[in-house]
Amino acid sequence: MNVPYSWLGEFFAEPLPPVDEVADLLTGIGLATEDILDYPGAAPGTVAVRLDEVSHIEGTDQLSSARAWDGSRHFTVITAAPNVRDGIVTAFAPPGTRLESQGITIGTREMAGVRSEGMLLSPRELGVYDHAGGLIELPGDVEPGADLAGLWPPDRVIELELTANRSDAFSIRGVARDLAAKLDRRLIEPTGVQVIEPEGTSAGGLSVHNHDEAGAPLFSLRRISGVTPAPSPVWLQRRLGSIGQRPRNNIVDVTNLVMFELGQPTHAYDMRALPAGELHVRRAGPGESFTTLADDSLELDPADLVLSGGGDAIGLAGVIGGMHDSVVEDTSEVALEVAHFDPHTVRATARRHGLHTDAHLRFERGTDPALPYYASARAAALIAELAGGSVHPQLAASGSPGGGSTVAFAPSRVEFLTTLQVEADTQQKYLEALGCKVERRGEDDWLVSTPSWRVDLNICEDLVEEVARLHGYEHIGTSVPHMHFTPPLTDPTHRRLRARLAGAGFQELISYVFTGEAELSRTKAPPSVVQLAEPQGVERAVLRTALYPGLLAAAALNRARDSLALFELGSVFLEQEGERLVMLTRGPWVGSGWRGKAEPGSVFVLKGQLERLARSMGSELEFRNEEHPPLHPGVSAGVYSGGVRIGFIGQIHPEIASSFELPDTWVAELDLPLPEGTVGFKEPVRQPHSQRDIALVTPQDVSFASLDDLLRPAAGEHLVRLEPFDVYRDGRLGAGNQSIALRFTFRDSERALRDEEVSAAMSNVIRVAKHAGYDVRDG
Amino acid sequence: METDEALQLIAAAADARQLQELRVRYLGKKGELTQLLKGLGKLAPDERRAEGARINQIKTRLEDAMDVRKNDLQRQELDARLAAERVDLTLPGDSFSVGGEHLLTRVTNRLLDVFTSLGYEVVTGPELETDWYNFESLNFPPDHPARDAQDTFWTTDGRLLRTHTSPMQSRYLEANEPPFKIVVPGKTFRNEAVDATHEAQFHQLEALVVGERITMADLKGAIQEMATALLGKGTKTRLQPAFFPFVEPGAEFAIWWTHPRTGREEWLELGGCGMVHPNVFKAAGLEGVTGFAFGFGIERLALIPYGVTDIRYLSQGDLRVLEQFRGKL
Repeated sequence: MNVPYSWLGEFFAEPLPPVDEVADLLTGIGLATEDILDYPGAAPGTVAVRLDEVSHIEGTDQLSSARAWDGSRHFTVITAAPNVRDGIVTAFAPPGTRLESQGITIGTREMAGVRSEGMLLSPRELGVYDHAGGLIELPGDVEPGADLAGLWPPDRVIELELTANRSDAFSIRGVARDLAAKLDRRLIEPTGVQVIEPEGTSAGGLSVHNHDEAGAPLFSLRRISGVTPAPSPVWLQRRLGSIGQRPRNNIVDVTNLVMFELGQPTHAYDMRALPAGELHVRRAGPGESFTTLADDSLELDPADLVLSGGGDAIGLAGVIGGMHDSVVEDTSEVALEVAHFDPHTVRATARRHGLHTDAHLRFERGTDPALPYYASARAAALIAELAGGSVHPQLAASGSPGGGSTVAFAPSRVEFLTTLQVEADTQQKYLEALGCKVERRGEDDWLVSTPSWRVDLNICEDLVEEVARLHGYEHIGTSVPHMHFTPPLTDPTHRRLRARLAGAGFQELISYVFTGEAELSRTKAPPSVVQLAEPQGVERAVLRTALYPGLLAAAALNRARDSLALFELGSVFLEQEGERLVMLTRGPWVGSGWRGKAEPGSVFVLKGQLERLARSMGSELEFRNEEHPPLHPGVSAGVYSGGVRIGFIGQIHPEIASSFELPDTWVAELDLPLPEGTVGFKEPVRQPHSQRDIALVTPQDVSFASLDDLLRPAAGEHLVRLEPFDVYRDGRLGAGNQSIALRFTFRDSERALRDEEVSAAMSNVIRVAKHAGYDVRDG
Repeated sequence: METDEALQLIAAAADARQLQELRVRYLGKKGELTQLLKGLGKLAPDERRAEGARINQIKTRLEDAMDVRKNDLQRQELDARLAAERVDLTLPGDSFSVGGEHLLTRVTNRLLDVFTSLGYEVVTGPELETDWYNFESLNFPPDHPARDAQDTFWTTDGRLLRTHTSPMQSRYLEANEPPFKIVVPGKTFRNEAVDATHEAQFHQLEALVVGERITMADLKGAIQEMATALLGKGTKTRLQPAFFPFVEPGAEFAIWWTHPRTGREEWLELGGCGMVHPNVFKAAGLEGVTGFAFGFGIERLALIPYGVTDIRYLSQGDLRVLEQFRGKL
């Protein structure tokens, strides 16, 4: 919300501190200042002129010439503005005037053969508000020749970022009220406001028909007759311009002014929109539609609260008015609506139709339920003052002003929670400065009646904050809590794992959890389980079901590199959310250089890294040749720990790799946490070991793991290691065969093994291997 | 035999093989000196003694000379080998991939170090959350405008991606008895337009301390300790009133620091904090305790010090960017 410094100052008898100090004070009481903006006001050197003898210039599309009077002389000006007409008072920039808003200096120019000295100005050119669709229209009482910069001076505007709870501060008066409490000053209210109470639901030929008091707890109408719409006085236009509003006419501008001044939205209907003088408040009917004043047609929902003159909806309660009910040039009678609407109803309607208005923003946060009669009186008085006409002495209304509650408050709670030591009397003073009434039932038992505008004060702690913020958070000291709490030494963010992987040469990435269904399908990941309702595009519409697609995308991004080693830790979203680790390698593990050609990469480098990782954590992994959709069917394994599948490793399927324009790429994806062994001490074995080698010729689909399973038991209890040391395929072995050379290491922890024992074990190995149908070549 | 000639030959032996030949020639079983010794038996005892002493003396001289020559040859051989093995160590070493943790991991770890050293437990929670944990248990009533500040990624089944790490407040309060001090790092999500300073996925760190009487001074103290640990002694912190539905009183906190890029001293607005709202305790079935909570975004603390120009770099996986963040933080 924007708060012009000069406007804020109107609520105080004495001048305010400088604007920067005021901004700091406001921030210090919880009305956070985002920025202090410069409102330029009218450009220096510009003057008011009255136009006559307006005529269209033949042979041009839009140009008109006019005779301008600046109070001392007549001269000719040319303009393309559509609203140029005899008698209007507007702004003129003589040659030499600098228009900062446009970055130009005015000169004398000739258009369509007519010499134009200087330029007539739109509001944007004048620098006063953002509208360039015509000349600025000044009220008729501005003297031609008047210095506009003096009449329309610059201002400083404090830009506040209001939190959702402070609906009371959503107005200049609300901000002033809080500032007054902080400064311990009295608030000056607008003059000439005579609040009247309604005597019934009808008055002055207007009648209120409230069919939904839950949606509109208070609804009032007041008739103002004999008004003359005209440009608003400069002070009012300046007020609106300085907060980024576009002035329209003296009636609409007053309703806007009152909304920003008091925080209470109001609406002025042209009486012709209410032919029967009736205004109905009701929910929308089935299939009912409504056209907003912005000419958008809406299909209404039965939960929408609407206003009607007895027929179709002419307004969406608390959100936006209709196309045909507004004040126009020839309006002479208006019905002024001031109501209190239910915040939830207004919010639901605005959301449903995607509408965002200044009125709805105030209603949905909760306006002051006791404010409508005051706001009505304020608006009526201003309209009568500025647009002439007479205000009907009575108000038609339904419902009653509400607001305010009582809160049990213990002043000791302030020190208990904040450690601020604030005297009881001072606490009472703070609360009263904010509009509360304090009844001291006991020393530490107060009953505090909160003002109607503070819908956010409901419990004791709310009042503790009020006392603390007026006293000043800066007075809170620092301390350290003493508690008996010993945190368990867990590692839920997997810090050690990340450090190990980084230390092993892998670079960590962080990808998005959202991805696209097409990406999951392209990478043969499981289809999504969780979809976003309102995603940022189809490629971010679902939650990932695997991590490797993210690393493939990164690998593609970095495809210029000879080799890659990447990892990521993150969640995947299947039936359950679960954390995983993914590792990706591509290219040689050790890069080529002057020492010769590098070893090409291999899935066994990645597997070796994974095994090293497991061993560094004191655990062992098992690998079983299994196919996985994203992997090359012949280079794919399941990773197991203790017989439980925890992930997969292999080469990315060539089809997927080529869709990323990647060469051979290897990935491993595992569930977290990875298995960790426990530490146990064993006396180092001092006995020598014996090694025996054999080579087996087997069909190629016989895995090492299956040979290990077969031969390990056959080798007996002294076998400590069984490892392959050569694997090759050769035509001489017979088609479809392979040779696999195995090294057996035997040892006893207590004594040296006898040669015969080892030979006996190997004989058994060979017997079992032959029995299984393998050709054995004894090493 | 001529002793002088033998000594000359030994001294001139070109290599270990020649030296060995000389050893055989003079000292071997059939060597010249051995023959002389064998011939001693034919001599008279007196002569034998004198001649024996002479031959042994010669033998010792030859052996000494051979050892000297052998050492010389070994040294020459070593010198030659060392010369031959000389390499140019200005040539590059083998090229291993370097590896490293993501910048956000490093910054998070630094913060976790600070908090664990202050006695906080590190806990994590799910990223896919329910309305209850993300909003309602945290005193965001259904349909409340305070929810608008947290543009939410809803899922089609009515769940959501957590908009802050605060759901762990409720989850931890439900499952644990005070007193405790916890800190919660993690990914968070907001459905807002992505640009150089806004990401739809980002990271937060949340702290929650609950006990019999935890105060706002404790809150300020905790923030002050964090700031001091991160930025050094004398670092100033500030609390200013603000609204978050799950705290009352609530505040925003800022740290006074020297902007590492501009060199300007200024307040760095970090995040929100306050005293745990009674409704949050109520939702977890707790009463008779007080607590504070604070939370802030990690990206700012990662981006600003390094002068990273675009937050999107952090999730793009461009190694040219990610590999820069090594060395001392």
